[in-house]
Amino acid sequence: MDDQGCPRCKTTKYRNPSLKLLVNICGHSLCESCVDLLFIKGSGACPECGTALRRSNFRLQLFEDPYVEKEVDIRKKILRDFNKKEDDFNNLNDYNDYLEMIETIVFNLANNIDVEETRKMIDQYKKENKEQISKGRAKMSKDEEYLEMLIGQEKQDSETRRQIEEEDEKRQKNNKLKNKEALIDELMFSDMSAKDIIAIHKHDLEKEDIEIESSLPQQPATQFSTGIRLGAQNAFLPVPDEKIEIYKYSPIHVDLCGPELQEEEKLISLGYLRNVRATSDSEKAGGFDTKFSCQRALQDAFCGLFYFPVAPQMDQS
Amino acid sequence: MFSTSTQKKHWTFTGETQITQNKKDTNHKYVNKHGGANLDDETKEKKYLTFTEERILGRHFEHVLREFCNVFQPPMPKYVMGTAMCYFKRFYVKHSVMDYHPKDIMLTCVYLASKVEEFNVSITQFVGNLKGDRDKFTNIILSFELMLMKKLHYHLTVHNPYRPLEGLIIDLKTRYKSIEKSRIEKIRKLAEDFLDKSLASNVSLVFAPSQIALAAILSSAENDKVSLDSYMSDVLLAGAAPEDVKKTVYQIKRIRYMVSTQEPVQKDQVGPIQRKLEHCRNQENNPDSEIYKRKLQEMLDDEDEIQSQKRMRIEEAEKKAEQELVLGVI
Repeated sequence: MDDQGCPRCKTTKYRNPSLKLLVNICGHSLCESCVDLLFIKGSGACPECGTALRRSNFRLQLFEDPYVEKEVDIRKKILRDFNKKEDDFNNLNDYNDYLEMIETIVFNLANNIDVEETRKMIDQYKKENKEQISKGRAKMSKDEEYLEMLIGQEKQDSETRRQIEEEDEKRQKNNKLKNKEALIDELMFSDMSAKDIIAIHKHDLEKEDIEIESSLPQQPATQFSTGIRLGAQNAFLPVPDEKIEIYKYSPIHVDLCGPELQEEEKLISLGYLRNVRATSDSEKAGGFDTKFSCQRALQDAFCGLFYFPVAPQMDQS
Repeated sequence: MFSTSTQKKHWTFTGETQITQNKKDTNHKYVNKHGGANLDDETKEKKYLTFTEERILGRHFEHVLREFCNVFQPPMPKYVMGTAMCYFKRFYVKHSVMDYHPKDIMLTCVYLASKVEEFNVSITQFVGNLKGDRDKFTNIILSFELMLMKKLHYHLTVHNPYRPLEGLIIDLKTRYKSIEKSRIEKIRKLAEDFLDKSLASNVSLVFAPSQIALAAILSSAENDKVSLDSYMSDVLLAGAAPEDVKKTVYQIKRIRYMVSTQEPVQKDQVGPIQRKLEHCRNQENNPDSEIYKRKLQEMLDDEDEIQSQKRMRIEEAEKKAEQELVLGVI
């Protein structure tokens, strides 16, 4: 059963399939109609926790658990300010400490632990790292810029391709028209028989087609549609350059503790299989072979023949 | 494979002497543990089973086990019996007959062996072979099964001499052409009889299964007046170190000796020993005793209690959550 529902009016998704749950910064959900009712004035208090909320801040609840929603919200906000990258730190430990600090802040805010103190801490951090924060934001926008550039390039490419195609089509049309006219002219004024003229024309046309095709510029593909250059994958995804030792097969050696066993291949040539019950068709279908049972019986027969736990003492015989 | 097995590592003894010593130790331990530590030898003997009595009883029940397997319906393959026998012997090397009654252990061994050896019988089918209170037998077998596996240290794979015998006969037919095949079939029959007989002895606790199988073949060939000496020296053991050959021959001699000189099952003494056992056996492991029943009940109660406690906790948590919800709305 879907027990997701509005905590205020107790409507559930089951009873009202079109129920839309909204959530605000405090992380408590409300259904759409309750929001309409409570926030006529545009702002009010959350019925659950009394936090002052603005109507415009209500968003559609994406996660079933409103707490997750709240946490995501807070995280987004925090990460806007705490935007240092791994490159900004001298070593991994510092970076990890920094990440942990972020997690602590998010957790505290999401669970209402030491909210005041945490906020103070954030403010202090903001003050101390003003420059860094704006730099970080700029950096992020650089990434976006790059993406935009790529998209633009792609658009341009497709545009030129389209133009070329259009031109081609036009030219072909013109050619066809010209050819037709020439044919009619010739039919009108030439001395040759009509049949010959048509045959010659056809031949010329075919020749031209081939010429056009071969003259079409065949641009070699230099990049994928995503804008990644061919053969440039390494720059994009650094493959960890680890030297792994290649696995080497070494045959298993089991101490049989007995006389040497015949090799599997020799079983047939030595005539062992003639003394074993032949496999039935159904057994063969199951992938079973006489060789296996024969080999196993022989192995069991030889294995342990030379097994002497202690030097044989004269114990009773 | 035997050479890498737990059978070789944990369950092979140097000889009859070591097994006897082990059994004597367990007997001694049991007596000391169950109030016999300060008694003089004479009262001890009167009150508890002596080592010899334990052995007589053990041998008797081994015999019963074999009989039970032989008449089992549906017919049971030999290797199941071999495995069951092996479990039984292994168990009583480490435990006194007074600790666990062999009549219970015997059935459990067969039941466990039929499972391990993939001889598929259900428990109802299994107890169908028994006369008497079948529900009670079911309970006994099922309650002892896990204990038995634990006491065997979960070393459940047993290497029986039956497959090695098959292998040796294949090898004999293939590589030793000087006797005709009908003769070999006759030898096989006799060798199987030898293996059946060997089940009553302790050879499976001392030797490798292949050695036992070889001993079976050699002994039956001798009985059939066929000499396999040249097979041994020129085919099977050709290329082996002379030292190994000598030792193998000696081991086979030992096996044949152990199988041929078994003490008979002394049926007439079993009755009095069993009556004596009723007084000195460990009541905690007696399915008929009050102590056993109480212990079982306690175990079940404990389980129930844990379950009900869990349920209570969950219920409480639910109630609390509900109350909070109600209060929250008001």
